[in-house]
Amino acid sequence: MDNGTSNSASENETITLKSCDGIEFHIDARIANRYTLLNNWNGGESACIPNVNGKVLEKVLEWCEHHINDPQLNCGDDDSRRRNTIIEEWDENFLSCDQDMLFEIILAANYLEIKPLLDLGCKTVANMMKSKSPEEIRSAFNIDNDYTPEEEEQFRKENEWAEDY
Amino acid sequence: MIKLPNECYYPIFNNLQDNYKNLLSCALVNRQWCRIIIPILWSKAKNHLNDIRLIKIFLLMLNTKERALLIPFNIALPSHPIPLFEYSSYITSINDNLDYGITGWLRYNKYETRRVKNVVKFSLISMFLRTNKNLKSLNLNSNYYQFGSERVNTLLEALYDNTALNTLDLHNNKIDIEGGRIIAKFLCKNTTLIHLDLSSNNLGSEGGEALANALCKNTMLTFLYFHDNNIGSKGGKALANGFARITG
Repeated sequence: MDNGTSNSASENETITLKSCDGIEFHIDARIANRYTLLNNWNGGESACIPNVNGKVLEKVLEWCEHHINDPQLNCGDDDSRRRNTIIEEWDENFLSCDQDMLFEIILAANYLEIKPLLDLGCKTVANMMKSKSPEEIRSAFNIDNDYTPEEEEQFRKENEWAEDY
Repeated sequence: MIKLPNECYYPIFNNLQDNYKNLLSCALVNRQWCRIIIPILWSKAKNHLNDIRLIKIFLLMLNTKERALLIPFNIALPSHPIPLFEYSSYITSINDNLDYGITGWLRYNKYETRRVKNVVKFSLISMFLRTNKNLKSLNLNSNYYQFGSERVNTLLEALYDNTALNTLDLHNNKIDIEGGRIIAKFLCKNTTLIHLDLSSNNLGSEGGEALANALCKNTMLTFLYFHDNNIGSKGGKALANGFARITG
């Protein structure tokens, strides 16, 4: 693995983050250096990260720590990165948690602007939808069908072409 | 299931964008997902404009004026309910495939193709330009013989409201001074067009000058094809100055 020499913070420096339910985490300052939004809550005595609870924050920070030496991807790679649906083994294990936690991680990554983790979560969810019928997807994610039968039929007709490509 | 905001669904469904069947299954899950997926799925339809099922949907979206053009030709338009979405607004490119699609639809419905095709194409392109302000690429290459210069000008005027066009191919359309002025006016306010093919038209020296003036104001246009236009030395000089200001 690379050592993250490009990061200006030194290895021993730590910052303190607090989840919305008051749990404190002391993390490597290089993580906050990578994901600038985390810096906003650094060390605040009373400041805590709204919307993210301790259980979820712990997972998010675990991911960040594991990937601390990953090369930084620039934004231009967005599309190719998304379309490649292969997921590394460590990440796959990391995200094979229960579905609620997976969605909580996606929400937190979106909120904290940790894009690689957001992409990874989205990829995982997309993979769960692959080769499934609408009914199978509904039951996998516990979603209600709110189409009327007429609407559904019209929609199918209008989009029939997409079945053939 | 924990509710995700729409901004989280876009990257999820974008992962599936190359598998239409998957996208379609997801769109059928519920209305919220459908609204997110339709723009993704239909942005792909530009590659399949030769499919007569798409032509049929687009014909359903013609307004009264666009339908009226087809009345003298006794074309029975599809009579389904109004489409659930404004599908035409998600198409980003109009290309030769549209011609194949129209011909296919006419043949399927046993119409004579040669005469009727042009008017169907004109009303469809009018509809696209009316409903779609995000069109990125429009190919009207050699359409004069089909439309006549007045209709080409009408289409060019409809481009004023477009905010995304980056490629416009008008090769071989007998565009005259009037058309040149419309294009010049478009170029003055446009900030997106990069490729413009105006070759083999009939702009003449006045058209050349009008365009030259517009080029002074337009900072985005990078590729302009202009040969075979009878612009003469006066128009040529004006254009040369226009280009000098772009690069300078």
